[in-house]
Amino acid sequence: MSVAVAVRIARRELRGGLRGFYVFLACLALGVAAIAAVGSIRESIEAGLKREGALLLGGDAEMSLTYRHAEPAERAWMELIAVQVSEIVDFRSMVVVERDGETERGLTQVKGVDAAYPLYGTVELDPPMPLDQALAGNGAVMERVLADRMGLVPGDQFRLGSADYTLRAILLREPDGAGDGFGLGPRLILREAALEGSGLLAPGTLYETKYRLALPSGADLPALEARAVERFAGKGMRWRDARNGAPGMTRFVDRMASFLVLVGLAGLAVGGVGVSAAVRAYLDGKTEVIATLKTLGAEGRTILMAYLIQIGALAGLGIGIGLALGAALPLAAAPLMQAQLPVPVAVTVHVAPLAEAALYGVLTALLFTLWPLARTEEVRAAALFRDASGRVRGWPRPVYIAATGALAAALIGTAAAFSGVPKLALWAAFGIVAALGLLVLAAAGLRRLARRLARARMVRGRTSLRLALGAVGGPGGEAVSVVLSLGLGLSILAAIGQIDANLRGAIQQELPERAPAYFVVDIQPDQLAGFLERLNRDPGVSKVETAPMLRGVITQINGRPATEVAGDHWVIRGDRGITYADRPPEGTVVTAGEWWPEGYDGPPVMSFAQEEAREIGLRLGDAVTVNVLGRDITARITSFRDVDFSTAGIGFVVTLNDGALSGAPHTHIATIHAEPEAEAAILRDLASAYPNITAIRVRDALDRVAEVLSALAAAVAYGASATLVTGVIVLIGAAAAGERARIFESAVLKTVGAVRGQVLAYFALRSAMLGAAAGAVAILAGGLAGWAVMRFVMEGSYAFEPVSALAIVTGGAMATLLAGLGFAWRPLAARPARVLRGRE
Amino acid sequence: MTDPILSLADVTLTLAGNAGPVEILHGISLDVARGETLGLVGPSGSGKSSLLMLMGGLERASSGRVLALGQDLTAMNEDALARFRRQHMGVVFQSFHLIPTMTALENVATPLELAGHRDAFDRAAEELRSVGLGARIDHYPSQMSGGEQQRVALARAAAPRPHLLLADEPTGNLDGANGEAIMDLLFGLRDRHGATLVLVTHAPELAARCDRVVRLADGRIAGQDVRRAAE
Repeated sequence: MSVAVAVRIARRELRGGLRGFYVFLACLALGVAAIAAVGSIRESIEAGLKREGALLLGGDAEMSLTYRHAEPAERAWMELIAVQVSEIVDFRSMVVVERDGETERGLTQVKGVDAAYPLYGTVELDPPMPLDQALAGNGAVMERVLADRMGLVPGDQFRLGSADYTLRAILLREPDGAGDGFGLGPRLILREAALEGSGLLAPGTLYETKYRLALPSGADLPALEARAVERFAGKGMRWRDARNGAPGMTRFVDRMASFLVLVGLAGLAVGGVGVSAAVRAYLDGKTEVIATLKTLGAEGRTILMAYLIQIGALAGLGIGIGLALGAALPLAAAPLMQAQLPVPVAVTVHVAPLAEAALYGVLTALLFTLWPLARTEEVRAAALFRDASGRVRGWPRPVYIAATGALAAALIGTAAAFSGVPKLALWAAFGIVAALGLLVLAAAGLRRLARRLARARMVRGRTSLRLALGAVGGPGGEAVSVVLSLGLGLSILAAIGQIDANLRGAIQQELPERAPAYFVVDIQPDQLAGFLERLNRDPGVSKVETAPMLRGVITQINGRPATEVAGDHWVIRGDRGITYADRPPEGTVVTAGEWWPEGYDGPPVMSFAQEEAREIGLRLGDAVTVNVLGRDITARITSFRDVDFSTAGIGFVVTLNDGALSGAPHTHIATIHAEPEAEAAILRDLASAYPNITAIRVRDALDRVAEVLSALAAAVAYGASATLVTGVIVLIGAAAAGERARIFESAVLKTVGAVRGQVLAYFALRSAMLGAAAGAVAILAGGLAGWAVMRFVMEGSYAFEPVSALAIVTGGAMATLLAGLGFAWRPLAARPARVLRGRE
Repeated sequence: MTDPILSLADVTLTLAGNAGPVEILHGISLDVARGETLGLVGPSGSGKSSLLMLMGGLERASSGRVLALGQDLTAMNEDALARFRRQHMGVVFQSFHLIPTMTALENVATPLELAGHRDAFDRAAEELRSVGLGARIDHYPSQMSGGEQQRVALARAAAPRPHLLLADEPTGNLDGANGEAIMDLLFGLRDRHGATLVLVTHAPELAARCDRVVRLADGRIAGQDVRRAAE
């Protein structure tokens, strides 16, 4: 085989231009562009987060403690290593406003700052003023959403705990806001010193102190971290530094982008269907050329190479266009992103995501073109003397089947490796392959059904319907490519629709029915009796549960650092609520081991949540060290129990025997189940009697979670729309490719007496049937995916959501109908004589 | 000739070509009597197929008048022409022109359905049996030979019992034996149903079976031979 000859043949063949390859190019370009754009945006955000890590963190490093301030010696150590130290106290509380005898209360996340805050960046206020001026005396600033909710304008007074404050300005932007993560309440900033007398930082109150350090330039962050960890060993200190100023945000962006890349890969898979169809159609048209070349002595491999080069060159062009678009899109959207995103974005051309997208593009192009290309070897020279248009059918040689399998494995493996969430990538790949399989089966089933129906007595006399059924079921129909190309995009949208609706239903409708009305924190031990007394005599209250709570960090498991044993499991990430109990609380289900005897006063023992224990790999008898208030407590696990976090009730992963913790300063938390009519009075009475407590209205919190969920669903839907657009392009390609056939059919039908309305009705019915079939399969696939996610990932119940499903079927039918009708005018207008004589 | 089934008066056909308009037919005037078999012969490019298409309303004359069963085809729109064909005409082409996504039975039943026949499928099956394809009614065109496809096309054209059968080189794509069989079928159908037959052919033996043969050259009638007078 001469490669030079193959190259020369390929070059000559390419003189034909790009005709017939627009769908091929569009499919590849769009798929690659979507993946490249998502990757570039992720890289831009991560580069921004990295570049401005110190700004986001509010310092070069941050050392944080729960329930306590740094002791003088600890503070002295911080000042020793830092140029400047800023202290912040962070906690949840309630803003109270009394107006015309009515009392308004709003949840807020309070940040008490010192004069050094912010170490980096500036706080933007409305009206513009220096932060010092705004916070002077009892001054405070708050986010607009909170001020609006409370009806406050600058100059107004409000109460926090037992102290009064003056709102001086609206908080527009806090430089370290993105680093603080997700909060249920809007932000309020005041001087920490102004909190004295508010009664909000009593012992046991849940608060966090953060010490931001401005370090000398060139400070060795890893070395300093190691020293800090050593110096504060067993003191419950957590270290963060500018290398990753907003870890929660980084993790979120990373996961979201990985997920969107997987959705983008689904788009590329849909594009692959179009790519494959385009190459097959092109090579079908080349049968005569291939047969001629064989007659002239070309070997099968030379011909395969020649067409591989051609398709490779075109794929290179498509991928190149996709990369250019993918790189340009974030650049074009940079001003918008910088304005809209709460994080810094460093938009530039990032090579790594482009290379990743290009690799996906190459693998996809090879995967979907190898099979039709392999068939060029099977074309016989004799095709010239028989039916030159006859396609080569059947399976290609085993080597090509093996190569196709290897390419598919490489594509899935690459996606798994690059995504950073290999399990999700593999599941997604499984989902895509399963959906494609389902769609192929559905297309085959549709053809059989249509064929059978076309012969049924009931459609006789309904000519357009019978023609449509016959066309869908007949040979050479486009049923498979249309159902595949549109169906996969619709399936993803259907799955998102089902999951979104079910999650929202669970959070906004089902959960509030089971969940408590209020979740109350920071009840001091001496307030508990009065608190319960008020609630127990209220007929509107159906149930009150309370539990003591402290915050603690799991630092060691069987003497080894917890991160070594449990990796990045959420239970050991940061501090968690911990409780103690003498007897198992009501409703406790111990699944293994035994609860400690009543009045137990031996060495500390622990009951651990069963599911989390299984995920971490804990066994009965393991020693778990928890750092509470700077003190290490090592306890043996004596039992595992079921903990249900899905009801928004009280659920602790770790429960210790009461002897281990009851002496430590702590507060209680409570859940209150009450009639909606009783809620306002409960809040008023409790907040007046105990101004230090914070009552979170669960419905508000759930609404906030639902909002975040909607935003996530929207982002994924945008990603999925790339898949849908690719599907529509393939659809248009299929409709365009079928135009010649439609022109012929129209001419023959007119010749045998069909009027244009009948021909149009036939075309419309045929298109709508294919689209509706794609939509119906999408609902099935989406429903299955929704059920699987709700059942196995969310561990909840699943209910079919009909509204989005109906929209999907209608959308599918409309899309194919429009594509079909868009290419119906020429067939309708064509004169039969010209068309039929043209084919003589 | 009294009451011709087809009457063309000074018909011209001009089509747009790459190098400007091309005159295909020049002032053709021709009557076809009921029950007559008329052969149109002439060299390639002489305009015989175009003339046949005008007779079937498949092509629109640039000027002149085409009357079929007393109705002016030149005054009808596309849909009216289609309705007229479904009632009165059957057309057979050299390349068969069966719809590939339909079985033989469905291809034959389609004009009957369009004409509103309730028993379209029974009649289509009967018609296929009459052309010797009773065993192949569920086959798609791609599963049949050229000769078989042309028999399906004949059945399709004859099934609605048209007054007028138009055939454009019906044996042109077939070998000798198959061509002869199709000729026998075509003339047999005509004889059985008493339709008027106009056929375009290059085959002298086929032309020889016609009542009258019109010779075309350069878009004009160059002469005609009458073998038998129309009944």
